[in-house]
Formats: sequence, structure tokens, C-alpha cells
Amino acid sequence: MKKLLILFLLAVLVTISLTGCKGKGETADQISPGEKGYKIRIAEQFGLVYAPLMIAREKGFFEKYGLDVEWKRFGSGGAAREALASGDLDAAFMGIPPFLIGWDKGVPAKVALGYVVSPVSLVTYNPEIRSIKDLKPGYKIALPSPGSVQHILLSMAAERELGDPRALDDLLVALPHPDGAAAMIAKKDIHAHFTTPPYLFEELSQPGYVEILKGTEAFGGEFSFNVGLVTLKYHDENPQGYAAFIQGVNEAIAWINLNKREAAKILSPKFNLPEDKLYKYMTWEGMNYTTATYGLLEFAEFMKKTGYIGRLPKDLSEVAYENVLAVIGKREGGQ
Amino acid sequence: MAKTMRHLVIVVILIVFWELLARSGWYPPLLFPPLRDILRSLSIHKQEILYRTCYSISLIGKGFSVSIGVAFLLAGLAVFYKPISEGVSTLMGIMHPLPAIAILPIALLWFGSGNRSIIAIIIFSSLWPLIANIYNGFRSVPATQLEVGRNLGLKGMNLMLKVMLPASLPHILTGLRIGWARAWQASVAAEMVFGASGGEGGIGWFLYKKRFMMEIPGAFAGLTIIIIIGILVENIILAYIENNTIKKWKMAG
Repeated sequence: MKKLLILFLLAVLVTISLTGCKGKGETADQISPGEKGYKIRIAEQFGLVYAPLMIAREKGFFEKYGLDVEWKRFGSGGAAREALASGDLDAAFMGIPPFLIGWDKGVPAKVALGYVVSPVSLVTYNPEIRSIKDLKPGYKIALPSPGSVQHILLSMAAERELGDPRALDDLLVALPHPDGAAAMIAKKDIHAHFTTPPYLFEELSQPGYVEILKGTEAFGGEFSFNVGLVTLKYHDENPQGYAAFIQGVNEAIAWINLNKREAAKILSPKFNLPEDKLYKYMTWEGMNYTTATYGLLEFAEFMKKTGYIGRLPKDLSEVAYENVLAVIGKREGGQ
Repeated sequence: MAKTMRHLVIVVILIVFWELLARSGWYPPLLFPPLRDILRSLSIHKQEILYRTCYSISLIGKGFSVSIGVAFLLAGLAVFYKPISEGVSTLMGIMHPLPAIAILPIALLWFGSGNRSIIAIIIFSSLWPLIANIYNGFRSVPATQLEVGRNLGLKGMNLMLKVMLPASLPHILTGLRIGWARAWQASVAAEMVFGASGGEGGIGWFLYKKRFMMEIPGAFAGLTIIIIIGILVENIILAYIENNTIKKWKMAG
């Protein structure tokens, strides 16, 4: 009897390990292959700033242009970037600084479109901290990872206000957004958190939580919080697929900007947030879903000057595709 | 000596294989950095690597010594008191299969994001293999040896120290070996999942930073150090204890 049971369990284990689990969630994610669609592998990402991607998926905007999308899930932006480098992924979205770090090290991808301009701020609940000058050793600042947009923005502010871009590096704790927010709300260990919506909005809704540094103050203007990247190989070998990808995102962004109410309704179960709250977040001051790219070269210049990257792009065409260059244009006469 | 030579030959073959792969051009150098880049990165970052490694070892030292103390206490009590023995084996059955990294989110809630979480993870990951092996060791002491000890008038603590401990040393050493390896794995993994803070952080934090800055040779430099420390502890410290105890006493071949 016992032998039979062991044999049975072994058989189950072997079958599972050889075939893999096809859970409900997995099969639902699979998109039936298009008749003669262009395949593309896109990193599936989650968060308020990724709302256009989620809408494109829900409304079938990529399929409309003949794309057959394979969504790939990654644990972090770092993992998505590694997948771009190893050729396991065709398109992903990330902040300009992580993209530039990858570009500097030879990740074969360029900016295909801007994606979102979003508030991003350093929040604290500690009444003794009112500016980054008050962040003395012993305090801890949570942000998603070294080299993230948040890290570079903090570094920019540190250079301006403290005279040293790395002045705050020893206070940093790398925590994913949800864990950072949980630690902030529990007021445990973490004294300040450099974060993005919806975590930013949730923290700021608590009494006593204030912004001590806004992303735009640190940067000195508007910048794309996220840009869309496509690998060189995909761009060069699949011009139709590339064009369809750009058009799918364009349409999703246009749709979301015209239909924020409905977008909040569609996405509310995905974020597990009430529709009204999600709508409030999507229309928060400073949120702008746009494919215009802001701040690419400014980030590059700062990061080169402070040693986060080793070289500067000679011109934009080294880091962005023709459609981005066309949007930016080239104004003759004067600087 | 011949054994050391064989090990060396295998290591050299591995290094040559790596270098050939790196130079073959089949993969971008981003994925397989050549040895030269890794060594250069080691020398650039040697100060930070040294500091981070010491930091990791001190964290592991703290966690591991707590584990060893608790493991001996529990295993010792379990040998003498039946209810405790049952309690310990039930607890072990529940906890041992849990990967340390799985309890990280809870550790973070209970102990915060600092070192205390990392030490808690180190204790958790090394405690169970230690208890299991020490307890097995104690139980496997032949009854005749215990009887001889008792006839010589040894009791309680004395019996424990003079008969049971030496007799179960092979098991204890196995426990130390597994426990040490798991403590290392846990400390590096914990720092990589929930990065430590910049000022205080071990070699796992170093790897984490290098990964996010895409300095892949740096990441491999960190890995090399972890491997070297593993080899040093295994082949020098643990081997020394083994040679001067169970090998000398002809307990193990």
C-alpha cells in the first residue's frame, strides 16, 4: 500500500516537473495566436504608471494592429532589463536612468516612445525631517533599487543641496514599492520613502505624511518617469511589428486620456482599488500619460558627470528610434 | 595531496572553459564577461568587497553561533526528555522544509528591514539542519559506550561532554557543514531580495548593487569571493577539525 502511494506521488511529481502547471491564471493569459500576426514579447508590468499597457491588453489594441503578444512576467525592472539583454524579451518599460545604465553597458535596446510623466516624491512622517538636509546618518531612506529613477533624482538633489551626489547613498535601503509603503505606514525602521503612485498617494493620504522633495524639483523640470524600450533586433527585423507596437501604445494612451472614468472602472479590480479612488489617482495633479519623451539627455549628462554611466550618447539617435526623433524634431537656427 | 591536485585540475579546466566561452563571441560579453574583466573588477572594488565580506561573516557569525547554541541545547534536552524529543521532531518536520527566503516577508514585518531580519533568517536557515544532525548524532551513540561511561561514574553533563559529544562528532560536523552552507545562502539571498541599507550590508548587497548597475563583471567578482570563502571554510577550518578529531580517532575513513 505504502509503496503504491510513494510510486503515485513520484509519478505526480515527475509529470508536473516535465509538463509544468497549467493553472487557471496561466491559460487565461494566453492569447490565441492571430491568423498571421507579428509576434512580440512584452514585459508585463504592474502599477498605476502601467495603466496604458493594461488598457491596451484589456481592449485588444495590440491585436487590432496585428500583433500577437506574449506577455512575460518579471520580478523586477532589473530582471526585465536582463531579459532584454539576453534576447528573451522584445519590449519593456522602465525609467530613463535604468535604461541609460543598460545602454552604457551594451544592452541592445533604444527608446521607442515616452510613456508617462508621473509625480514621484520623497515622503516622510518624521516632523524633524523637512528637507534632505535633515537626513542625517541613522535615518533610512527606502527606494526601489540602486540606479532607479528615484535614486538618480535623490542624487541630483543631493548634489545641488548637499554638494555631493553620493551624500545620501549610505542611508539607502532597497525595498520594492509595496514593502517600502508597508514599512512607512508601520513607521518601522524607514524614515523616508522615494516612491510613485499609487503608493505615493496612499502615503500622502495618511495624517502627518508630507512630501519633502518632488521629482520635478530634483530634476529641475518635467521628465518621462517611464519610457518604452524595444530591442535593436526586433526593431530592425520586424518593422511592421514595431510599428504595430507603437500604434497600439499610442491608441491606448489616447483612449485612456479620453476615457479616464471608464479606464478606472476596467482597472479597478486589477488594482484591487475602489473605482472612485483609482479615478482620483489617475487624475492626480501631475499625472500625464503621454508618448512624448522628456529629459533623456538631461539624465544622461548628469549620470555621466557623476559616474553612473561611462559615456554620453553623441546624439539622440544613439538612444532613441526614428519615431522619437521625429517627435522631438530639429529646430534650425540658434540653440 | 593527490586529491588537492585533482581539485586544482578541475578548477583550471573550468576556468579555461569559461574563458573560451567568453571569447567565442557566441554570447554578448555582458552575459559572459572574460576573466580579465572579472579580475579587474575584483581589484577595483577590493576594499569594498573586503568590507562587505567581513560584514557578511560577522552577521553569519552572530546568527550561526546562536543556532549552534540553541541546537545543542534542544538536541541535548531531546535526548534526555521524551516529550521534548517529540516536540522538537514535530517542529523540525514543520520548519525544516521551509526555505529561509520564504519567511523573509515575515521577518521584515517582525524585525524591520535592518540586520536583525538578516540574522533571524540566518538562524532560521541553519538551526534545523544543525538540530537534526546533532540529535541524530546523540542518538546514534552505541549503548555499550554509554554503559562504559556510566560504569566509570560519569553522569549528566560529564557523560555528555566526555562520551556523547566525541562519539557523535561525525554527525555534528555534517550538521555544521550543512548549517554553514545554508547560513551563507540565506544571508546572501536575504540581502539580494530585500536589499540591506547602503552603509551596513554584506556581500549580498554588493551583488545587488552590481546587478542593478549592470556591472556584470563586478557581480561575478562577488560570486568568486563567495566561492573562495566557501572553499576556505570547508577545506581548511572544517577539514582541520575533522583531521584532529574523528580522523585521528579513526572514526571515519
